[in-house]
Amino acid sequence: MKGLFKGLIGILIFIAIWQVLAMMINKSIIPAPAETIRLLMEFLFSSHILLAAWETAWKVFLALLLVMLIGMPAGLFLGLSDTFYDMFRPIIMLIQSVPVISWLSLVIFAWGIGWKGPVFIAFLSLLPISILTTVSGVRNLDKNLLEMARLYQVPGNRILKDIYLGSLLPFIAAILDVSIGQAWKVILVAEYLSGGSGLGVEILRMRMNIDFPGVWALTLIAVLLGIVTERLIKLGLRRLSNQWTIA
Amino acid sequence: MDNCLMVDNLYKAYGSLTVLDNWNLTISKGQRLVFLGPSGAGKTTFLRIISRLEEPSSGVINSFDQKIGFVFQEPRLIPWRSVKDNLLFVNQNGDYQDILARLRLTGFEDYLPSQLSGGMRQRVNLARALITRPDLLILDEAFSSLDLRIKASIMEDINQLWLENRFTIISVTHDLKEALCLADRIIILSGRPSHIINEIKVDLGQDRSFSSPDLLKLESQLIDIMCSTQPEV
Repeated sequence: MKGLFKGLIGILIFIAIWQVLAMMINKSIIPAPAETIRLLMEFLFSSHILLAAWETAWKVFLALLLVMLIGMPAGLFLGLSDTFYDMFRPIIMLIQSVPVISWLSLVIFAWGIGWKGPVFIAFLSLLPISILTTVSGVRNLDKNLLEMARLYQVPGNRILKDIYLGSLLPFIAAILDVSIGQAWKVILVAEYLSGGSGLGVEILRMRMNIDFPGVWALTLIAVLLGIVTERLIKLGLRRLSNQWTIA
Repeated sequence: MDNCLMVDNLYKAYGSLTVLDNWNLTISKGQRLVFLGPSGAGKTTFLRIISRLEEPSSGVINSFDQKIGFVFQEPRLIPWRSVKDNLLFVNQNGDYQDILARLRLTGFEDYLPSQLSGGMRQRVNLARALITRPDLLILDEAFSSLDLRIKASIMEDINQLWLENRFTIISVTHDLKEALCLADRIIILSGRPSHIINEIKVDLGQDRSFSSPDLLKLESQLIDIMCSTQPEV
C-alpha cells in the first residue's frame, strides 16, 4: 500500500513537471496534461485506434514468441557447447550491433510494407539478448545437480525438465523483463518507418497532420499497453513457475 | 561370500599430482567399510571412481554392475522440487512414502529443501540414495556437518536399514565415532599420494550407540593407531 502511495506521488510530480513544461514551451509541441488525457480517453473509445493498438500488440506478441522459441533453445545449445558458442558469438554480437534503421532498409526492400518487417526487426533486436541470457543461465547451472543425475542415470528428458528448465526459469523471466518494453519500442519505430498498420503508423499520421497532442496521447496508449502486457506476462510466468514447482 | 567390489592396482593422478597410489582391495557383499585418512588422501576420489563419475589413471575396478546409492557431502537436492519429487527424480516407481517413513520424514513430502533443517536435508539425501534400492550405498562424509545427536540418530537408521537389506556400505569420514558406529572394516590411509597402511576389523555387534563402552574403548585404540600411522602436520 505504501509503495502504491509513493508511486502515485511520483506520477503526480511527473504531471506537475509536464504542466510546467507545457506552460513554458509552445503548447502545440508539448500539450497540457489535461488536453492529452482528454484525447487519450477519446482514443480509448475509437475503434480505429483500438484496432491499430491491436495490430501493434499482436506483432509484439509474435516477436516475443519467436524470440523465446528460437532464442532459448539456441542459447541452451550454445551454453552447452563452448566450441559452438565461440563460433557463433561474433555473429550474435554482429546482429546485436546492427542499427534498427539498417534492418529496416533491408526488410522494406525484401518484403515491402506490412507486418513482416516490424516483427522481423523486433525479433532480430531481441534475439541476441535471449540467446546470451540463456547461455549465462546454462553456465550458472549447478554442476553438482547434473552429476547427481548422471550418477543415478536419470533420463535426459527429466534432466531437461527438472534441472535445466528450473535453473533457467529466473533467466527466462529476465529475458521477458528486458524484451517486453524493447519489443514495443522497436515495433512502433518499425511501423512508423516502414508503414503498414498499427500505433506507429497512427503516430506518423498524427505527426503529418501536425497533431502533437494526438502524438502524445498515442504515446501514452503505447506506454500503458507496454505496462499492461509486462504485468500480464509476469503474472503468467509467476503462475507457471508456481505450478511447475509443485508439479 | 560374494564380492561386491574388487580393486586391482588402482592409480589416479591429476597431471603430476598422484592421489591414489596402487590400491588393492576386495569388498564383500553386505560388508560395511569405512575409510579413514587425512584430508587430500583421495578418499572422495576413490568414491567417485567406483561410482563411475571419474576414470582411474590405471588399474582395474570390478564393481559387478550393481545399483549405487550415493549420499553426497552436500545434499544436492533440486531446490525448486519438493522432497517427494526429489526422490522420484531418481526412481519414478520408488516407494517414497515407505523410505520417508523409515527416515522419520513422513509429513514432509511436499516441503521444499529450503524449508528443511540441515539434518532433514541430509536425511532426504540418504532417502534419495535408498529409493533406488541400492546394492552399494556410498557415504561421502555425508554427516560431517551435523551435530552429534542428529548424526547418532541417522547412524542408527542406517544400521537398522542395513540389518534389513544387507546392502554393502562404503563410507568416508574423519569422525572416529561415526566410523566405528558404521563399520565392519576400517581402512586407514596414508597422506597423499595415498595408499592403504592399515586395516582394522570392527567386531562390535549390534550395540553401536555413540556412548557404548565397547565403542569408546575401540575409539581410544583407534586414536593410538591413527597417531602412530599418520605423519604429524
